[in-house]
Amino acid sequence: MKRRVVLIDDHDLFLAGVRAELGDRVEVVGQAGTIADAVPLIRELDPDVVLLDVHLPDGSGDAIINAVAPDRPGVRFLALSVSDAAEDVIAVIRAGARGYVTKTISGTELASAIERVATGDAVFSPRLAGFVLDAFRAGEQVGGDAELDELTPREREVLQLIARGYMYKEIAARLHLSVKTVESHVSNVLRKLQLSTRHELTRWATQHRLV
Amino acid sequence: MSLRTFAPSSDERVIAGVCAGIAQTLAVDPTLVRLVFALLALAGGAGVLLYLALWAWAEGRRVWIAALLAFVAGCALLGALGLSNRSVVGVALIGGGLALAWRQGGSFHPEAPLSYGGIGLAAVGAVVLLSDGGTSSALLAPGAVAGALLLIGGPWVWRLAVERDVERTARIRSEERSDMAARVHDSVLQTLALIQRHAQEPRRVASLARRQERELRGWLYGDQPLGDDSASLMAALQAAAGDVEELHGVRVELASAGDCPVDQPVGALVLAAREAMTNAAKFAGVDEIDVYAEVTADTVGVFVRDRGAGFDREAVPADRRGLVESIEGRMERAGGRATVVSSPGGGTEVELHLPRAAS
Repeated sequence: MKRRVVLIDDHDLFLAGVRAELGDRVEVVGQAGTIADAVPLIRELDPDVVLLDVHLPDGSGDAIINAVAPDRPGVRFLALSVSDAAEDVIAVIRAGARGYVTKTISGTELASAIERVATGDAVFSPRLAGFVLDAFRAGEQVGGDAELDELTPREREVLQLIARGYMYKEIAARLHLSVKTVESHVSNVLRKLQLSTRHELTRWATQHRLV
Repeated sequence: MSLRTFAPSSDERVIAGVCAGIAQTLAVDPTLVRLVFALLALAGGAGVLLYLALWAWAEGRRVWIAALLAFVAGCALLGALGLSNRSVVGVALIGGGLALAWRQGGSFHPEAPLSYGGIGLAAVGAVVLLSDGGTSSALLAPGAVAGALLLIGGPWVWRLAVERDVERTARIRSEERSDMAARVHDSVLQTLALIQRHAQEPRRVASLARRQERELRGWLYGDQPLGDDSASLMAALQAAAGDVEELHGVRVELASAGDCPVDQPVGALVLAAREAMTNAAKFAGVDEIDVYAEVTADTVGVFVRDRGAGFDREAVPADRRGLVESIEGRMERAGGRATVVSSPGGGTEVELHLPRAAS
């Protein structure tokens, strides 16, 4: 069964390009260019995956996630952007996106990323891995939930390898783990990123104007 | 002003022009010099002998004749001062030894040997002087020996210092040359290679040449690093990645955790990373390169990875500058290190590490 996908991006040329690249690997059921259009569209279509631009003319992509997620828990979000700004990307991830890929990604890779997000996995591009490592930078810990506020050494290792351009199966081979274990490490990191109240993370977010 | 430049004056000479020559060199009245020589001539004829010695030396006659004449003149002078014969011989021997030592070692050539003959002669002189037992020489002898040792050892110690300076200068120069070679290799030679490859496309060639000219000018006259200059590591890496993308038509995926300002070692790191990207673009045969930069409290790390052809480290010719000089040598000079992990068919990853204490 093909995944039902909604595209949210204000660049028509880019949307056309993505549609062509994806071909018939997924079913693109709808598209929108603004937050105002996207929210009712997603509620109505209830797709498997929403491909979401981080920057939209009437705001940032996380506004869509915040508006839709409570009553459409089955919809997964995958952020897709050329944006270099860590704060925007982290904001979308903290709002609940299951991953972030850059627009330079190939059609095949994008199709496989959509599939992974649809099944509940996280999709980390090298750039996102770098941002997350930066956000969880080692520092003194002040209160909070220790389990949520720190990355384990293994999680850190996995993220570093993702940042260096390794694919999950390459990471698995290098660290003598199964691909499933690598995926679960990445999902854990995503969960921590979304739930953590870690002092450092909060401070980092403040510095980057997130809260 | 040095007596080395002394030459007899033919214009104002009375006898051979020696006094006038000395006066000219020292910028004093020739009459004063002549008076000194006249007084010395009264001291057992020392002045006359000294005059002949200087003349023989200045005329370029055999140097040993001059030395012998000066030696006899010295003996006559000391004798006239009332020293015993033994003391005179002792002092003369020390003087001769010094002359010999200075003649060989005093020229401060790093390769000049220490004069053992001179030392031996001076030592014999000292022994003669010490064994003379007279009250005047008992006071004179230890001072003379100490002075002699100082004068013989002095040039040698001096020479060591000079040698060390010369060595340091040579090392700095060779490091500068390596750095220069690395920079030229990264930019000018790369551009020339590209120009050859695109010889059939005049516009491309012109744009490459213009771009290289701009870079080279910036480096030569603006004190900017060749290639790029930016305020932060990430900005510099982005610029480098952009250049490599533009020049070689590959895609560079840049990820980072943290950032830091660019100082000299970090600048070297950026240039090494750029070279690693260029290598990947040229030799790996892939269209995507992953670059990850990580700045922690104590290190800066940059990883350049491709999934391309890879290579066997042992099979790389030693004269291929890119890897050895532009990456490994450059990182070592900056106080860091570079590790290259590659195998044929298995892709390549270049890891660059720089301790932040050094940055």
